[in-house]
Amino acid sequence: MSVEASCPACGAPIAFNIGSSIVVVCEFCHSVVARGDRKLEDLGKVAALVETNSPLDLGYRGVYQGVPFELTGRAQLGHQAGGMWDEWYASFGDGRWGWLAEAQGRFYLTFEQSIPEQTLIPPFEAIQPGMPIAALQTSVPMTVAETGIATQLGAKGEIPYRLTPGEEYEYADLSGPHGIFATLDYSESPPKVFVGREVTLADLGLGGAIAPQREARRVAATQLNCTQCGGPLELRAPDQSLRVACPNCGALLDVSQGRLEFMQALQPGKLVPAIPIGAVGELEGVKQMAIGAMVRSVEFDGVRYYWEEYLLYNAQIGFRWLVRSDDNWSYVVAVPPGDVFHKTGAFGGKGDTVQYQGEKYKLYQDAVVQVEYVIGEFYWKVECGEQTRAADYIHPPRMLSMEASMIRVSVEEVVEPEPTGKKKKTRKVRSAPTGEINWSLGTYIKHDEIENAFGITGLPRTSKIAPNQPFLHKKIYKYWLRLLAATFVLGVIILATGSRTKVFEQTFALQPVANAEGTQTIFTEPFALKSGRNIRVSAYSDLDNSWLYLEGDLINDATGDVQTFSMPVEYYHGVDDGESWSEGSKSPSLHLSALPEGQYMLRLEAQWEKWQQPATMSIQIYQGVPRILHLFLAMLFISIIPILVAFYQFSFEKRRWADSDYSPFGS
Amino acid sequence: MLTKAYLVIGAIIILSYGLVAFTGKEFGDPERQRVPADVRQSPGGYRSFHFWHSGYRGGK
Repeated sequence: MSVEASCPACGAPIAFNIGSSIVVVCEFCHSVVARGDRKLEDLGKVAALVETNSPLDLGYRGVYQGVPFELTGRAQLGHQAGGMWDEWYASFGDGRWGWLAEAQGRFYLTFEQSIPEQTLIPPFEAIQPGMPIAALQTSVPMTVAETGIATQLGAKGEIPYRLTPGEEYEYADLSGPHGIFATLDYSESPPKVFVGREVTLADLGLGGAIAPQREARRVAATQLNCTQCGGPLELRAPDQSLRVACPNCGALLDVSQGRLEFMQALQPGKLVPAIPIGAVGELEGVKQMAIGAMVRSVEFDGVRYYWEEYLLYNAQIGFRWLVRSDDNWSYVVAVPPGDVFHKTGAFGGKGDTVQYQGEKYKLYQDAVVQVEYVIGEFYWKVECGEQTRAADYIHPPRMLSMEASMIRVSVEEVVEPEPTGKKKKTRKVRSAPTGEINWSLGTYIKHDEIENAFGITGLPRTSKIAPNQPFLHKKIYKYWLRLLAATFVLGVIILATGSRTKVFEQTFALQPVANAEGTQTIFTEPFALKSGRNIRVSAYSDLDNSWLYLEGDLINDATGDVQTFSMPVEYYHGVDDGESWSEGSKSPSLHLSALPEGQYMLRLEAQWEKWQQPATMSIQIYQGVPRILHLFLAMLFISIIPILVAFYQFSFEKRRWADSDYSPFGS
Repeated sequence: MLTKAYLVIGAIIILSYGLVAFTGKEFGDPERQRVPADVRQSPGGYRSFHFWHSGYRGGK
């Protein structure tokens, strides 16, 4: 039921249209008017809302999970590191209020969750980014993504809590897998808990929401000249940018207050961007503009290493990065911290890993990185010399990078005693830990793709291997296994279907010959050989520390073609130094290629060591004898290239990890 | 590129293996010769034709 009243500050009409709203902002004087038990209370004036080109507006109606809602209020909150975000308040048909936070084109819808009294929410001072929070009744584990202090800046409409202009409060944003999101609001004790998830406008039934025809926040034309050199400045993402570097003089300017303000003097021309600022390229299927570039560095053993990062912007998808390091490139997208799982939350240390989307990423580098130089514009208050802790985890071609800012700020907390006397608070000044943890997913990208996307040429190539550079020949192992399996199956078929036909068998009694050089020649009766089948000739002689040598010929009766072969039969054994030994074989065999079909006779010429004595020998001839040796050779030949590739990969991986302090190959 | 080349080479190896198996081919066959027709047609021709030979080849 709507309650109409007059603003206690200016007397203009105000209305509480939602029964459960706590304050309403006077449209005329921007006073925040709270309704109490008996009378209206003026909580002070808020600033007019800064235009952020949001696609949402008050009065928009949507449906979330089958429940209709209406956006009735909006607040703008300042971030301690600069910048701000919007919070929309949605009055649902079932009596609930939804908090819809909007930041950098992303939306997070949360609902206040009542928690049991015994639930132990860690105090703000005790939580750190990356820390798991187990106290919440969520289906998935949550980790702290950001801690900070928010300031109430501007507001409009009906709001479901007692919004005090200028009030600061501590908060912690938590992130869980699959877009689960939560906020701990430390404006009260115990803290309020809001749980929800990241949503799209389509999830809210606002997919068709069209940004009102507002002008994006613009710096006045006169202010688009550098305050230092007077040169022209173009803001390419005016509704998002908080910093811009003058391309003329290098001055770093603050644009967060709607006007340009000198921050730092940078040496112009220190960075010649490989991708020109303002260049538009199509990546991810959308056109993105390079709006800023920075040089960052890290120091190892007294040596500073530099790389470049290019900020890309598209109004629909937000920000992306292209990172150029040692002339290798990665395309980088922010990922929710809650989607990255670490077993302890204490990042770093040799062998450390994180899990993301079911894949394990290994720690590659963990260091303090520093901003060296910037050009163009940025969505945060970047400064040269700004330092963050960065840890890179790799799973080529991807790299997960964590950046954590762990800064301590002195804050002045102003809390007046409440008239109800419920909670007496005092004014105090103290230090509060604050920080933010950001995860981004970089994917190795080829030079050609960047050149094609941005229409540039001549990006320098390098032979240096990037931490997330994929080893391109990994597929070969998969094909290796498949080819081995195919060969094995074929081998089994061949072995199983071999005919192994015995075509000849005969035992011969050899008579003593005249001298050691004497031989005995035997011709057999003809026998048939079939074409297309190999031939195995086996001999046997019961020798004992002696030898018998056979020269053989398979003679085609019709053509006279002769296939010769020779076969020593020798067998020796004995005991040397107490150890028995033996060598040779009494029954050797050999294989011959298939011969043309026909009648063949066998000529054998035998010579043996004990020529004075008679000897016996047996000959067997088989056809269609499958060869395991051939199967083995085929598998060996199939394995040669993958084995060489494996050696190459080993070398590749060693070079990949050469710059890492956490190399599995040692230092 | 290497992967494609490997697939081609692998396929050739498998085909070769199958071909060798199904044609009865062996590697390293000793030489083949031919007994001239006039020798074959003469009585005892094979016995008198001594292009093969021999001598001591065994022993320890």
